[in-house]
Amino acid sequence: MTRLIPDWEIRITNFGLGYILMCLVVAIAATNTGNNGLYLVLAGLLAAMVVSGILSRRNVRAVACEIEAVGEVVATRPALLRVRFENRLRAGTAQALFFLHEGLPGPLWIDPLRPGEKREVLVEGAFPRRGIVHRPDAGLLSRFPIGLFRKYRRARLPREIVVYPFPEIASVAEAPPEDARGGRPHASRRGAGFDLRMLREFAPGDDPRDMHWKQSARMRRWIVREREAERDRAVVLTVDNALADPEDPAVLERLERAISRCAGQALVLLARGGEVGLQARGVRLVPSVGRAQRSRILEALARLPAIPAAGAPDFPPLRRGDHRVMVS
Amino acid sequence: MSDASRRGLLPSGLAGGYLEALAPAAAVAPIPLVFTGGASLRVILLYEAALLLLWWRARRGRAVRLPDLALNLAGLGYFFWLGFEVSVLRHGLLRSVTYLLLFTALAKLASLKTAGEARTALLVLFLLTLAAASSSTHYSSLFYFAAIALLGFRTLARLAVLADFSEAPPQRVLRSVPTPAVSAAGLAAAAALCAPLFYGLPRLKGPYAMAPFRLDDGLTTALTADRVDLESFGAAKRSDRVVLRLTTAPEDRPRVVRLREAVFTVYRDGVWTRRPSPGRGETYPSGSHRGREPVRIDLALFAKGFLFLPYGIDSVRLEAGRSAYVLPDGILQATSGPRNVRYEVGLGRPEPVRGIGASAIDPRSVPPEIAEYAAKLADGETDPAEIYRRIEERLRKSFIYTLDPPAPRGDPLVDFLLRSRAGHCEYFASAAAMMLASRGIPARLVTGSYGGELGLFSNSIVVRGENLHAWVEADLDGSGFSVLDPTPPSGVPPAATRGSLWKRLAALGREVEFFYDRRILGFESLDQQRFFDAARERLSGVAGSASEWKGTLSLPGLRRGFLAIAGAAAIAILFREWRRRRQQVPAATRAYLALRRLLARRIGHVSPATAPDEVARRLAEALPGADDDVRSVVRLYEASAFGGRDLDAEEEQDLERRLHRLKKLA
Repeated sequence: MTRLIPDWEIRITNFGLGYILMCLVVAIAATNTGNNGLYLVLAGLLAAMVVSGILSRRNVRAVACEIEAVGEVVATRPALLRVRFENRLRAGTAQALFFLHEGLPGPLWIDPLRPGEKREVLVEGAFPRRGIVHRPDAGLLSRFPIGLFRKYRRARLPREIVVYPFPEIASVAEAPPEDARGGRPHASRRGAGFDLRMLREFAPGDDPRDMHWKQSARMRRWIVREREAERDRAVVLTVDNALADPEDPAVLERLERAISRCAGQALVLLARGGEVGLQARGVRLVPSVGRAQRSRILEALARLPAIPAAGAPDFPPLRRGDHRVMVS
Repeated sequence: MSDASRRGLLPSGLAGGYLEALAPAAAVAPIPLVFTGGASLRVILLYEAALLLLWWRARRGRAVRLPDLALNLAGLGYFFWLGFEVSVLRHGLLRSVTYLLLFTALAKLASLKTAGEARTALLVLFLLTLAAASSSTHYSSLFYFAAIALLGFRTLARLAVLADFSEAPPQRVLRSVPTPAVSAAGLAAAAALCAPLFYGLPRLKGPYAMAPFRLDDGLTTALTADRVDLESFGAAKRSDRVVLRLTTAPEDRPRVVRLREAVFTVYRDGVWTRRPSPGRGETYPSGSHRGREPVRIDLALFAKGFLFLPYGIDSVRLEAGRSAYVLPDGILQATSGPRNVRYEVGLGRPEPVRGIGASAIDPRSVPPEIAEYAAKLADGETDPAEIYRRIEERLRKSFIYTLDPPAPRGDPLVDFLLRSRAGHCEYFASAAAMMLASRGIPARLVTGSYGGELGLFSNSIVVRGENLHAWVEADLDGSGFSVLDPTPPSGVPPAATRGSLWKRLAALGREVEFFYDRRILGFESLDQQRFFDAARERLSGVAGSASEWKGTLSLPGLRRGFLAIAGAAAIAILFREWRRRRQQVPAATRAYLALRRLLARRIGHVSPATAPDEVARRLAEALPGADDDVRSVVRLYEASAFGGRDLDAEEEQDLERRLHRLKKLA
């Protein structure tokens, strides 16, 4: 990842270099000719350089910039970010500020911030890779006041941003039939399957497509079909994150694709109402269902590190009745 | 992204933004060249009109962008014109260069295709500013500097903003930068910083442009001091050039209204001269002026360099590095050196004003026509005071004061008395002095100044050419040479007074003029040396005060105790502030900074841009066996600085231990 924003840095611009060169030229001319007009210009140029340094330092350092994700953040997909700016100066408007983020097409202009002013803006950014972001590649840039220097200040994160892997939807492994699972007891559960579980009165949130029209007409009340979960199964998706050479980009890329596929399979299976778990070297999530499990799996995949194969721990053992699916 | 952006060209709107940012500074930059002969008014008007057109088009969102072919043709055409201008028209180097710059500026502004070209246009405008600044000698240049600083700041601030746009920004963007308050603060700070820089930058050569009044021939001729020509004195009095500026306490102002410069005792054919100096005359003590505020005088020297001094002084002290010859009759002549001299004089106790010295006009040298005229006027009277009264009465009632007396036939003074009866102060004073001398009364002609203009903000009095004056010193009663002024009141320059608001504003202009003339335009290496000498003296004074203060330690216990408590309190406040600042920096960051210092000691220099992991790697390489500690410190730093995690006490202790080990290892 290319780092756009250093924590805090001053870089001299091309214009700044030219300015320094002109100072030298004027200094030589003034010394050679003894022209006090030139001395005055030179003094003005040098004074402007110092004042510019002080003003730009105040201008950028006094502005706090915090970034927070709004909702889920998925790698390579646009994500909404809430950016908070606060001018902490008691006197002096912070101005000529730009917000930089690698997911933005260009620097984003920030209107001047009055002393003490706080402002929030929503921007759409994209994170190229899954993972945990502690240090956002985003922040403030300013050339204020006269463009001699570019000053940067990295934005702060009040809490880390978890970038979920992009779910690659590939063929989803079918879980084996119930009887092949060693008779694990289960109760038929409500779900989105084909088998009818029961009829009941309509409740807010029910899908209108499940309406049982005939029965509703008979009873003169809204009656819906409640279906069983398609299947009651527990799949443990497994990703092997032990690599022979964790520094090899090609190998790493394969791991990333496996993680993406795993995320895709997990989402499909969970959407079907299935119990899904996750395993990797040193990682174990017991199978479960629902949105909470979805978040747990995606976060675990986001945090999954590549580790050297030598000395890597074994996969944790499966529970009885769990079915392991290796994702590669 | 527009097509123009993809090709690296500025979109039209953005080019318009650049033009709008540059135009105001471009309009003002060459204006002084009209007054300094660097460009003719017609050319500048043409330039301004073209600029106005470009700006107007940019405001309408249709910035002019000349095609390359048109530009090349124009450049080629100007090349031939330049040859014609240099070889045939011969405007001079400054004009040719100025016109070339004006042409280039317009050409660049009319064809802004890239941000680099906007910077080139800015460079051309800067060169125009340099040409204007280096050729201007009028004090109004200060206003030009202020205006160009303001516009330059605005232009640069807007260009800096535009540099990060790839499309035309909304209008509000450029209008919001820079805010007036920040501009004012920035310019005030720059001006405050500019002053010491200007005076501190080393001067190796004399000023390129000298103060205008120093070249005033009329004044130079009139103030040769050892020779005064009756006919040239009038021309000198018409000059409004500054001769000197003095600063004094308000209560002493009446005593410095009349400044004595030189004494003349030999007259021949309209020219007064001094007798060759027989040796050293009376001297003034040159010690410090204890007891009262000295009168500080800043005098522009003309020709022989005689100093203007008030009556009744008891000491004279010249600035460091300058000295003066002491001539008879209390006259001081500055030794050669810079063409302005600063000195302080101490005023003695208020006593009847008496001129120093005993030189007087030899009665035998008085032309017989004047002696005869005086004898008729005296009419047998022998009392010197009564004789002077009659002379003064005759001169005031029967003669006319004018700066343009008719051309004399023969001796100008005889002509004044017997025929024209019109002249300026020197005619009146010369006639009175000669008539007194012819009656046997010791008398002499004195030149100097009378009155002046009060400064607006200070207790200063500016003396100009029009304040030059001549009067008589005569010993009427044997008590010494008293001051007699036979010039009619209409011919005596007004004494220093404050006037109306308009006059005060005029006084402000004079202050600015004087400041620019003396402190900026004419500032040279010797001035700089004096400035540093004065600073050194001040420091010595402070050191002396400090050593005196040491004596206060032997003061009674109460004061000593108070000083000790105040000192301890100051140290406690400083310590608390230091602690507070230290605590603001998290422990992990402090530890990381210590790591960087360790690395810098090992490898020489660590760039601020070096990333933490790189610091860890290089330090681990430099300190074998320290890998674990280094990486732990860096990890904790990253967690603290970028993960927003606060370290607990245990982790901080661990950090300290690791850092301690690393320091020992290093």
